[in-house]
Amino acid sequence: MWQVVGHEWAVTLFENSLAQGRLSHAYLFTGPPRIGKTTLALNLAQALNCTGKDKPCGECLSCQKTSQGIHPDVRMVDLAYQKGLLEGREGSTALGIDAIRSIQSDAALKPFEGRWKVFIIPQAENMTPEAANCLLKTLEEPPSHVVLLLTALHTDLLFPTIVSRCQVFNLRPPSTTLIREALGRRWDLEGERAHLIAALSAGRMGWAVEAAQNQALLRERNGRLDELLSLPGARRLERLSFAQRWGSQPERVKEILTLWLGWWRDLLLAKEGCWDKMENIDRKNTLLEEAEKHELGEIKEFISSIRETLHELESNVNLRLALEVLMLDLPSKR
Amino acid sequence: MKLSCLQENLSRGLAIVGRAVSLRSVLPVLHNILLATDQSQLKLSATDLSTCITCWLGAKIKEEGATTVPARLLVDFVNSLPPEQIDLELVTRTQTLHLKCARTEANIKVIDAQEFPLIPTGIEDRKITLQPDALRQMIEQVTLAAATDESRPILTGALADFQEEKLTLAAADGFRLSVRSAPLSEPVPEPMKVIIPARALQEVGRVAAEEGEPVEMTIPSARNQVLFHLAGGALGGPIEVVSQLIEGNFPDYKQIIPTSYNTRTVVDSKEFLRAAKIALLFARDAANIVRLQMTPGEGEPGSLTLAATAAEVGDNVGQIDATIEGQAMEIAFNGRYLIDILNAIDSAQVALETSTPSSPGVFRPVGDEDFVHVIMPMHISR
Repeated sequence: MWQVVGHEWAVTLFENSLAQGRLSHAYLFTGPPRIGKTTLALNLAQALNCTGKDKPCGECLSCQKTSQGIHPDVRMVDLAYQKGLLEGREGSTALGIDAIRSIQSDAALKPFEGRWKVFIIPQAENMTPEAANCLLKTLEEPPSHVVLLLTALHTDLLFPTIVSRCQVFNLRPPSTTLIREALGRRWDLEGERAHLIAALSAGRMGWAVEAAQNQALLRERNGRLDELLSLPGARRLERLSFAQRWGSQPERVKEILTLWLGWWRDLLLAKEGCWDKMENIDRKNTLLEEAEKHELGEIKEFISSIRETLHELESNVNLRLALEVLMLDLPSKR
Repeated sequence: MKLSCLQENLSRGLAIVGRAVSLRSVLPVLHNILLATDQSQLKLSATDLSTCITCWLGAKIKEEGATTVPARLLVDFVNSLPPEQIDLELVTRTQTLHLKCARTEANIKVIDAQEFPLIPTGIEDRKITLQPDALRQMIEQVTLAAATDESRPILTGALADFQEEKLTLAAADGFRLSVRSAPLSEPVPEPMKVIIPARALQEVGRVAAEEGEPVEMTIPSARNQVLFHLAGGALGGPIEVVSQLIEGNFPDYKQIIPTSYNTRTVVDSKEFLRAAKIALLFARDAANIVRLQMTPGEGEPGSLTLAATAAEVGDNVGQIDATIEGQAMEIAFNGRYLIDILNAIDSAQVALETSTPSSPGVFRPVGDEDFVHVIMPMHISR
């Protein structure tokens, strides 16, 4: 039973490859955050070493060890792994060459329990250039019992030499209907809440599961939305103090801006009457009221302002300054 | 799990398996030692996913069970106890191991045994029997040439080549090569070649040093591992060392061994070793370069001169008697490699075959046809 939600085409392809025993030595899963890239990689690792009939069965010892992260032949090569190598000392925030060298010497040894040695490198774009170059040789022709699984946001973030050595799966976010069904089936979440979480997730299955398990996530989102709603009516001073407050927390700002982007997109949809595509379905009425207050052009302009700010966040901008500019761009209430 | 055993036995068993515990590891359970009851014995296992060591020791089993205990704490704790009986009891509810010895008690947090990797045990029918002394010497002579640098994983292993009634072990690190063969008591059913990590072999050698009984070796049909089974004795149970095999093709080492020579120097190995040690005192500050000069004698015995010079330290020249066949010549080797190989030879004399200052030198113990060691020379500028 594949645990991953959506991505049926990839799953079918893997099922066929497994049945025929024709696997590639390296796969690269790309796609937006939290859509299930690593889950798919783990599932594939389970399927490779599964001893049950319907692979991955999820019940045999091998599958269970893989999902608990204690399978001796399945290695999750992430920052936690790197920290383990450094014997607990704090390492850098990028995956360094030592981690790659360690998997290389590890890869030379035959599998311990299973049939395959699987190395999963999540967020491969987080490798240092030295690490990425060091990986090339292994990625090109790993020992015959080794499968490498990489995930990344986009192929453009990796060296072309890495991408060309992998079979690339460009994963798309699963549909909200699929997510709603999965929430009901596996996390016992039905009705209004499932509907809302699925819509809000916008395809980010990982977020949906987290929101289903953690109530605080939705509460926080509500707080942020209220804040957002108050801003167009606020005066300049208040807006700038908002920029000052968040100017030192780049990670949170990204979340907030993504939320806003969703909100303004909904406004655009509301203005045009496309109700069924909306994310923030619990605030339909507010959306409708707000949509009345803004011109179509204003909304479009602000959406591109948010996008520009998000883009600037990637390129080492002064965060507070960027937020201040965004605040000044924010259309006022009429 | 509930059992009692003697502190001496447990301490020795832990010392044997403790060598396989990995210091830096990504699986927390690998920092632990597996304790399990096995029939009427206590089984101890440790692994770093490359080498696994398991040993069995006599114990009074009151209740079957298994668990894993942090190695460092357990070893230090048991070693500090008086030589008396230790009672161990696993409290499953709290996942702690209760230990009691004389008037000391302790509770140690454990990790469930289910999380520990499955270590294959038991000898198969298709086994190869080796004499412990011969095996130990073979391992010592060969593994010294294996690479310690992980950048070329295949060279960190030793090639074990089984052909009919002969086992050949070979290892090389790019600068030196050791090849050693030994007869087998019975022919192998089919020829096979496997690459065994040198570290694992060294562990086998260490354990075999205390053995009198033959060592049994088996390669399970999946061909992922090699298992050495030592009947044991002192601890009342066998010891097993399992190693993951290295995947890949070992370089064709036969090409590296020169087939001819211009100069053959036969010297007393002990004297050679002493001269090399003295030369290294100076050479260690100058890239370990030790220069060897072979001077054939006219009618009388020739001599081998070892010289080392370090610009800021000083220099040294040592001369030993040698029987030299062929022309005079000069060649330089890494002094450390000379010492390694001379230490591992136990024959009275050693022969050094050389042809030019830039081609490899071949070391052969006189009277032992089964061992060959090749060292690449160092470049000497004049």
